[in-house]
Amino acid sequence: MKGYRNYFLTKLLWFLVTLVVAFILNFTLPRLMPGDPVAAIVARMAQGMSNTTGVQAIYEQYTELFGTNRPIVEQFFIYMRNVFRGDFGFSFSQYPRTVADVLRTSIGWTIALQFPAIVVGWSIGNWLGALAAYRKGTFDKILMPASIFASSLPAFGMAIILLVIFAVSLKWLPTSGGYGYDLIPNFSWRFMWSVITHYQLPFWSIVLITIGGQAIGMRAMAIYELNSDYVKYSRFMGIKDGKIVRYVFRNAMLPQITGLALAIGTMLFGAVVAEVIFSYPGLGSTILTAVLGQDYPLVSATTLIITIMALLANFIIEIIYGILDPRIKAAQAD
Amino acid sequence: MKHTLRQVFESGKFVSGFAIFVAILLVVTIYPLLVPEPPLRIIGQGTFFEPGIYVNVYDSISAPHFTLNLDEAAERRIAGRLADRDRGAILTWLVGVGIPESEIDIANTEQLLDQWFSNFDPTVRIPGMTNADRNYYIRLNSSIQGLLSTEDVIIAHANEETASLEAAGTIRPSAYVNVGQIPNVRILPLGTDNFGRDVLTELVKATAVSLKIGFVAGIIATTIGLILGLVSGYVGGFVDDVLMFITNMFIVIPSFVLLILISFSISQEQRGAVTIAVVIGFTSWVWTARAVRSQVISLRNRDHVNLSKLSGHSIAHIIFRDILPYIASYVVMALILQISSAILAEAGLSILGLGPKTTEVPTLGLMMNWAMIYQAHILGKWWAYLPVIIVIALIAFSMNLMNTGLDQVFNPALRE
Amino acid sequence: MNRVILDVRGLTTKYITRYRENVYAVDGVSLQIEEGKSLGIAGESGCGKSTLALSLMGYYFPPLHYTSGEIIIDGINISKMKPDDVRKSILGREIAYIPQSAMNALNPTQRIINFVEDVVQAHDSSVSKKAIYEKAKELFESLGLPAEVLHKYPVELSGGMKQRTVIAISVLLLPQVLIADEPSSALDVTSQKMVIKMLRNLMEIGYIKAMIFITHELPLLYNVTDDIMVMYAGQIVEKASAHDAVFDPLHPYSKGLMGSIIVPEEGLRSTKLTAIPGVPPNLKNPPSGCRFAERCKYAKPECTVTAIPLREIGNGRAYRCIFPEDELRRMYAKEAAQHA
Repeated sequence: MKGYRNYFLTKLLWFLVTLVVAFILNFTLPRLMPGDPVAAIVARMAQGMSNTTGVQAIYEQYTELFGTNRPIVEQFFIYMRNVFRGDFGFSFSQYPRTVADVLRTSIGWTIALQFPAIVVGWSIGNWLGALAAYRKGTFDKILMPASIFASSLPAFGMAIILLVIFAVSLKWLPTSGGYGYDLIPNFSWRFMWSVITHYQLPFWSIVLITIGGQAIGMRAMAIYELNSDYVKYSRFMGIKDGKIVRYVFRNAMLPQITGLALAIGTMLFGAVVAEVIFSYPGLGSTILTAVLGQDYPLVSATTLIITIMALLANFIIEIIYGILDPRIKAAQAD
Repeated sequence: MKHTLRQVFESGKFVSGFAIFVAILLVVTIYPLLVPEPPLRIIGQGTFFEPGIYVNVYDSISAPHFTLNLDEAAERRIAGRLADRDRGAILTWLVGVGIPESEIDIANTEQLLDQWFSNFDPTVRIPGMTNADRNYYIRLNSSIQGLLSTEDVIIAHANEETASLEAAGTIRPSAYVNVGQIPNVRILPLGTDNFGRDVLTELVKATAVSLKIGFVAGIIATTIGLILGLVSGYVGGFVDDVLMFITNMFIVIPSFVLLILISFSISQEQRGAVTIAVVIGFTSWVWTARAVRSQVISLRNRDHVNLSKLSGHSIAHIIFRDILPYIASYVVMALILQISSAILAEAGLSILGLGPKTTEVPTLGLMMNWAMIYQAHILGKWWAYLPVIIVIALIAFSMNLMNTGLDQVFNPALRE
Repeated sequence: MNRVILDVRGLTTKYITRYRENVYAVDGVSLQIEEGKSLGIAGESGCGKSTLALSLMGYYFPPLHYTSGEIIIDGINISKMKPDDVRKSILGREIAYIPQSAMNALNPTQRIINFVEDVVQAHDSSVSKKAIYEKAKELFESLGLPAEVLHKYPVELSGGMKQRTVIAISVLLLPQVLIADEPSSALDVTSQKMVIKMLRNLMEIGYIKAMIFITHELPLLYNVTDDIMVMYAGQIVEKASAHDAVFDPLHPYSKGLMGSIIVPEEGLRSTKLTAIPGVPPNLKNPPSGCRFAERCKYAKPECTVTAIPLREIGNGRAYRCIFPEDELRRMYAKEAAQHA
């Protein structure tokens, strides 16, 4: 147990340090770039170019809230303080909504979509990959090229193909949005049904993409494990195939879990882009509107939230991994 | 070296991937020589012209006419012009006046028109039919009559002085022109996009630009990763700790988030294709650095490296002669991966509206972005987005194949 | 003559490659081992000795396939049995195997005791876990292994300890025959000695009745086994007592093999080192005559015409060469004189 506690504490420390670095990057990167959006805000303020009163008000509020006319170090601490309060100022493009308000509505959609989709895709992919490694033959010969092709397809490509087939041609499912545009969110059956139908296409497009990559990885891992010495030895000690397969899949699964922890960022990108294709009301679409509306506070806050989500997911997976792999505890106990 | 190359080219997977890739490169190089036209020139007035052969009407009037007496000509003409909507309407009418639906085949133009003429009567009112519907049927009837007329069309031009029309010639329904004799024929194999630009020309240029972005980003990422990995692995100790700390950090902080943040902060005017490539390159070196480092560490204490150290060779000599050749295959594989993921990253960025500025060159991502903004996928304009997806998938697929092939050559354990 | 424990007759097995080619890696091998005896099998890598070890188990999985021949262990003909019966009543009980790299022979995510439980219950599911633990503890301790090992994960054990644990597990069900495939090649010298000592000890205390030891390190064989068999290209090329095989090899290949190593024995020091040039032939289409002919410096045209039979010369000795015994000795003597 001591071994695991050490492992947990190391990972926790690592998570916190990375989080701080992510904060710093999120703050400094835009300010270092030639087009510095923050400087642009200040400049526009100074020249009084934003003549519409509404726009003027937002910029003033932003300048005051984030102290953009103060020294950069001071700005950083103001920024940190505001972030911890959950105060990101007004959204430039969706005034008078605040950034926090915009994020509050979209973050739920994203989590509800991406978390289950990645977990389901990961599970099915691993299961298929393991099966392909074990069965070999025809099953493998069909599954592998399909998986290589599916993982070559960009996430948005899969999204569009599903959309065109099932929403545009067959008209089985709606093309875009999180729920029918004529509905107001409530807990009626009609609304729930609408949410479920709108959920299917984005969900399956992320699942399919995830399956491809995971199946390839799992197959390679399982083949590697199947050829390992302990399998041969277990067989010659008379252990049944079914039991050996259980050894193999457990062991092949472990690197796949670490793989998931490391790839979660890349997966989120695909998922975010897929959201855009379906105009799903999550963080992906928020980024798109923010970019189109030159809405710096919203872009900055969304990227920060996505980073925190990725770091948290990574942390949680590492923690689960530590429980599953005895080697971790053994290594840490020394 | 020669032996290794031969082995690589004996791998079926690598060769297939390589062939696809070379084919793409050839098209990208040769096509612009054959069609030397600016890829973003707007030629179509209107959006999304279907793929096909566009023949200049003005030229075909003055081109020599030939008479071909073909029996099915009239029928085809009507069949071609009778829209699906009209056929549906005819069906509704016929069913309304009591003809069983099983006897009606809306695909059979001749039979349908026969049934229409024997049953249509503008004075009949079918229950549930509005006035507007009735007027529509009357209009439909007269337009079908028009289609059926076999009268010649008169070509007239306006007299400049009197402004009256003077007949200049007639065109009979059996007149044909030879496409080869018409000076202005434009083939648009993939139609036009939302701005009226030739999709094929645009796509070829976009592929070239995307490949360039891939190469620039891939080379930057691989170089940074290689240098950091070499230093970290070879020097070891504190330097290694620091570099690996940074590398591991950038593995968990999603690089696309940095990419979005940086691209957004570089104002649109300064965001050229190369800038985007550089940004992608600078945010995607982590994997290479890690892989190179672990390879270098396993090499660092091999006999030949120790021998080289004892012989007093310089660090540069050791790195270039005793280490690099052994990790070359990994570096090449990493580069291939980087190129294909950079192309995908550009596409993703462009879809989020953060692609290169749009006035100079197209990229695969920008083409996707335009198609999405103009809803090509919902309007069924497949030629605006499907070829782009196919090209991206082909590039990624070819690179995946090459990598799998290389992997099997260099890691014999994977050869089943 | 003692009771024959392992009797193998004309065993042939093949690999089927993914291009559907047959590779006969073990080609008509016959051997007998009497109770209390050990047999060493030597040869370069790729000569089929590891495949022979796998084939002797009588339990085949792709790409290795059984073709013909018989394996009789203490009177039981296991090559006629169904695979699942072999698994249940032969593997581990009659014949056991120690893999080439015992370092990785244990499932890394399983405690030793759990694997031991799986092994015992695969043969008899009625045994309780407590009984298994008692039995394993007793056996481990009798072999000088602390019982705590049972509660550890493989990563927590040192290399030598892991190796000895594998050996202990292999003899858990007291098999008649133990096949050890280069069990010591990955270890340091001290651990190597301990492993060899342990294997000899197993015979002495009667946990096993016969042993086959496979290696490419000939000096090891001379010290460990009673007899030696040399394999080349899937076939036996020479059978002899350990002493004869090392000091008086007959087949040119054995001669070359023995010549390519230094044996720290008086009288052998002067022997010039002669590594055999070339590599073993590709077994997808083996040469029609003598398989060693193309690398043999004594080869003459007749060698490559027809297959060479294994020549029994009495006293348990046999070799596979076209030349008579005395002519071979004459050629070797002449060559030695030239070098001297």
